[in-house]
Amino acid sequence: MTDHLVAAEHEDWRLFLKKARANRSFQAGAAITLLIVFIAAVSLIWTPYDVAKLSIPDRLQGPSWSHWFGTDHFGRDIFSMIMEGSRNSIAVALIAVGIGIGIGVPLGCWAAARRGWIDEVFMRTSDIIFAFPALLSAVMITAIFGPGAVNAIIAIGIFNIPVFARVARGAALSLWPREFILAARASGKGPARITAEHILPNIANLLLVQGTIQFSLGILAEAGLSYVGLGAQPPATSWGRMLAEAQTMMAIAPQMAIAPGIAIIVTVLGLNLLGDGLRDVLDPKLRRER
Amino acid sequence: MLAYTARRLLIVLVTLLVASAIVFFVLEIVPGDPARLMLGLNATEDAVRALREQMGLNEPVLTRYLSWLSGMARGDFGESLTYSVPVTELIADRIVVSLPLALLALGLSTAIAIPVGIFTAARRGTRADTAAMAGTQLGIAIPNFWFALLLVYVFAVTLQWVPAGGFPGWDEGLWPGLRALILPAIALALPQAAILARVARSALLETLAEDYIRTARAKGLPANIVLWRHALRNAMIPVLTILGLQFAFLLAGTIIIENVFFLPGLGQLVFQAINQRDLIVVEGVVVLLVGTVVIVNFLVDLAYAWADPRLRRR
Amino acid sequence: MTAPILTIDKLDLAIGGVPILRSIDMVVEAGKVHALVGESGSGKSMTALTAMRLLPHGADAAGTLRFGDEDLLTATEERMCALRGDDIGMVFQEPMTALNPVKTIGEQVAEGIRWHTGANRPDAEARAAHMLERVGLPRARFPLDRYPHELSGGQRQRVVIAIACALRPKLLIADEPTTALDVVLQAQILDLLRELVAEDGMGLVLISHDLGVVAGMADDITILRRGEVQEAGHAVGVLRQQKHPYTQQLAEASAHVPQWAGRTKPADHWGLLEVQSLVRDYPGPRTGLFSRGEPFRAVDNVSFSVPPGRSVGLVGQSGCGKSTLARIVLALDKPTAGIVSFDGMETSRLNDHDAQMALARREMQVVFQDPYGSFNPRQTVERLVAEPLHLEEKPLSRTERRERIAFALEEVGMPADAMRRYPHEFSGGQRQRLAIARAIITRPKLVVCDEPVSALDVSIRAQILDLFAKLNDELGLAYLFITHDLTVARAITHEVMVMDHGRIVERGPTGELLDNPQTEAAQRLVAAAPDLNRAIEARIGNTMLHLPLEGRSATAEPRKAKPGAG
Repeated sequence: MTDHLVAAEHEDWRLFLKKARANRSFQAGAAITLLIVFIAAVSLIWTPYDVAKLSIPDRLQGPSWSHWFGTDHFGRDIFSMIMEGSRNSIAVALIAVGIGIGIGVPLGCWAAARRGWIDEVFMRTSDIIFAFPALLSAVMITAIFGPGAVNAIIAIGIFNIPVFARVARGAALSLWPREFILAARASGKGPARITAEHILPNIANLLLVQGTIQFSLGILAEAGLSYVGLGAQPPATSWGRMLAEAQTMMAIAPQMAIAPGIAIIVTVLGLNLLGDGLRDVLDPKLRRER
Repeated sequence: MLAYTARRLLIVLVTLLVASAIVFFVLEIVPGDPARLMLGLNATEDAVRALREQMGLNEPVLTRYLSWLSGMARGDFGESLTYSVPVTELIADRIVVSLPLALLALGLSTAIAIPVGIFTAARRGTRADTAAMAGTQLGIAIPNFWFALLLVYVFAVTLQWVPAGGFPGWDEGLWPGLRALILPAIALALPQAAILARVARSALLETLAEDYIRTARAKGLPANIVLWRHALRNAMIPVLTILGLQFAFLLAGTIIIENVFFLPGLGQLVFQAINQRDLIVVEGVVVLLVGTVVIVNFLVDLAYAWADPRLRRR
Repeated sequence: MTAPILTIDKLDLAIGGVPILRSIDMVVEAGKVHALVGESGSGKSMTALTAMRLLPHGADAAGTLRFGDEDLLTATEERMCALRGDDIGMVFQEPMTALNPVKTIGEQVAEGIRWHTGANRPDAEARAAHMLERVGLPRARFPLDRYPHELSGGQRQRVVIAIACALRPKLLIADEPTTALDVVLQAQILDLLRELVAEDGMGLVLISHDLGVVAGMADDITILRRGEVQEAGHAVGVLRQQKHPYTQQLAEASAHVPQWAGRTKPADHWGLLEVQSLVRDYPGPRTGLFSRGEPFRAVDNVSFSVPPGRSVGLVGQSGCGKSTLARIVLALDKPTAGIVSFDGMETSRLNDHDAQMALARREMQVVFQDPYGSFNPRQTVERLVAEPLHLEEKPLSRTERRERIAFALEEVGMPADAMRRYPHEFSGGQRQRLAIARAIITRPKLVVCDEPVSALDVSIRAQILDLFAKLNDELGLAYLFITHDLTVARAITHEVMVMDHGRIVERGPTGELLDNPQTEAAQRLVAAAPDLNRAIEARIGNTMLHLPLEGRSATAEPRKAKPGAG
């Protein structure tokens, strides 16, 4: 891990584009991610059908020109529901990542800067949080405080905190003994200032990559929680709930389960590809020619 | 080595203690009086008060925590509020489903992932590698419960090879039990196998770039022998870490998968208990799972020391 | 003249289409040491890896590489496996990472023996034990079940040599085998290699950047530059006559002494930096659940002073505590006991937010070893060089800042437009200039230099030493100059202190001390230090006038390290 950061070099935008152009995984991932975000944005103002309106005569249709992905058991257009659901997935996962970065990164940087018992307490605490299987705890939290998108965000967000904190801490720890940090210390700069000026810019890449990973995990987790009825509540649409409804119709309308599943897979795949691509594009080990 | 083990063991104990406290006090702040919830809305104040007394809810929080803790140390997890049977008994009934499921899934995931990881690392850059890695990308992206639905549709509904859900119990014999667990185990294992295979591959590739691999090659060992003898053991550490984490994930993952297959496991128990505000059962199951995770991580730590002699001295 | 073992003929190498080697010719003979010399990027390591056929992916070699009667370039991979480790051995630069951390040293030495000879485990282990004994690791003290992390760097390099020589190869390739070691260990490892060559009659290709090492070891020499042979022939002749301009340039650079007006300036008598009875302990290793081993004393009762405008060298073997001492002086680490005072301020008692500390830091700056690691890769040179400026009492205006930066850059010989660029756009030597610019921008009185030239090629090193001399002349900077290289100490210091096991054992004017070391530690360093001219003299046999340093009496009263002496 050290070397990654160590050699991390200036964001040369042209070099970035050049490498990005050669990296298929980055391109595919970025394209998919942009597409999903675009769909989510469009769904704010327009969907082909109104997902709140039931139309029993149209129920359980297969894919057709008028209903691209078919209709569900209430006659709602599945494509429109997927569009609506993407908003929920993105919002939950994005805010959960935000919570993780917003709280975890400062904590991790602080532990790395202070070392000693603060660091020890920090590590042990994150060990303890990691000992709680995340999903189980998310189930517990949403069950206790009531199901709903907000509590799902909190539940997923809480478990993002130690993840980002550890990534930040590990990367920061490997930077602290480096000579440019020593030189900054010899210039009388304090830990907070060194963290802001020297540590954060050098771990940003790593956090970005971790961010895309946690984003995709968040989408999976949200889908799982919604699937067991602890995520988004009606009338909101979510991919997980669509799957839960599809399960009851599995024997007569298996196609109802296909579209939401594919939507989840494509989104997660896109984010993972983007993360992998970013790692390669930003990795100075590959960039440096020596 | 002894000091290392002792230190790890101490950490295990402290972690368990703190985790149990977190579970207890988090559930303590849950809105709603369990006694009232149990008796229903029409219960008289007196009845509620009497039940609170009987359940020991009027004791100070700390006293209750300590008595709960000492009970658990003796293997007594308390008595379920809704079923009026010992929690230990409830858990024992369910764990015979969840634990074999998690272990089966873990075994399956390892058995698939490690060979794939080794194969792709040894042949990096070939078409087989690219194809396998594309497969793992897809595998990671598949939500396991959706995959489970798909498996049910194909193998249970359409082909009717295995039951679509439910669990006959181990009394029926080993095979019927295993048959009921096969699909859930595959559903749990495949996405995990995809992650593990990628970790194994990248750990191996990283190890293969080390200086000592060049030393071994300079000894005259062919590349594949070097991979087996020198790279594999060094690449074990990240793989072991992920294995430890995955066990926790699989245990928790059973909660959702059990839902798909209607398996009477710990997940189902927890869901019911949460809905019925049967906190003592929730506490028991969560502490048990956390305890399992902590102990598995302890074993992973010991395995580290086995894999890396540098750790034995600490 | 013995038969050639390895004959390289018109070897060309390209990696990913980029030419690395051009038409290399070289002949290695049995029982001889053939030195392959060059600065970084000369292609010397690539030549060795080509001979081993262990090149990275995408490498494309042409020409012939004859080992005995076979052409190694066309041999099958199977055949190469049979040759590697059996007939051709290789030793690498970095002993700390060259051994597999999870296997015992016995396993690692025996592995090659078992692989090539098919010997059973006990036989192979017996041979491995014998080989380890030969490289100076007797079984009684270094049992076969030791793991690499239990050995020091020098000992690990011995294990690597044992692996390479276990089957008495005809050819041994040693790629900078001592570069990562300090001079004393270097001398020991070189002795060992010399013995093995003499006893086993193998050919040794010694890859090195250090002419001093080469002059003492090599029979033949090939000098490379940018993938091309510059000069080749008998080592002593080539190095003595220095016919080729590049050879001459290398030789001059490696013994370079800067033009330095301040060299003869008498010292002031007050100490700019005063260090008194300094001690630094590190907690011992954890031995039990709550117990720790004996604390390790890295700096042991050290006292000295640096007068203004003087350059004081601090030399010693690796691990002797030099760098710890430097950190304490820079107030980056707190001493366990003792006092550091700088310009009248007791910095060992001050905290980072004290106003006096800012003052002290402004007048005391630092230059580190690694020209790649001493800059934040994400900041422009302008911000990097300006880093210490925030210590100024009143904030500077933008133009003032710019002027100060441009001036500092000019002083170190860099153009002012370097400001807008990023550190990776500069070479190692240029980066070291930038590091010096950063150190002098606040007009400090003292610069602590921690091995500032040891990562640089010799010709660049000479230029940087010139710069240090110039800055001392022009700005009256005092240096605390930490180095393991006595040639560097001779070039740029007025006085030198020898550190050993945390103590300063000897101090005196540089020339005097290095010519006539009194303590055992100093003698050990001086004797081990490679020196081009001395080595050549020794080789051509008229060393009668020049007494071997080991022969001198070690019982003479050691000179006491006096604070403020000089």
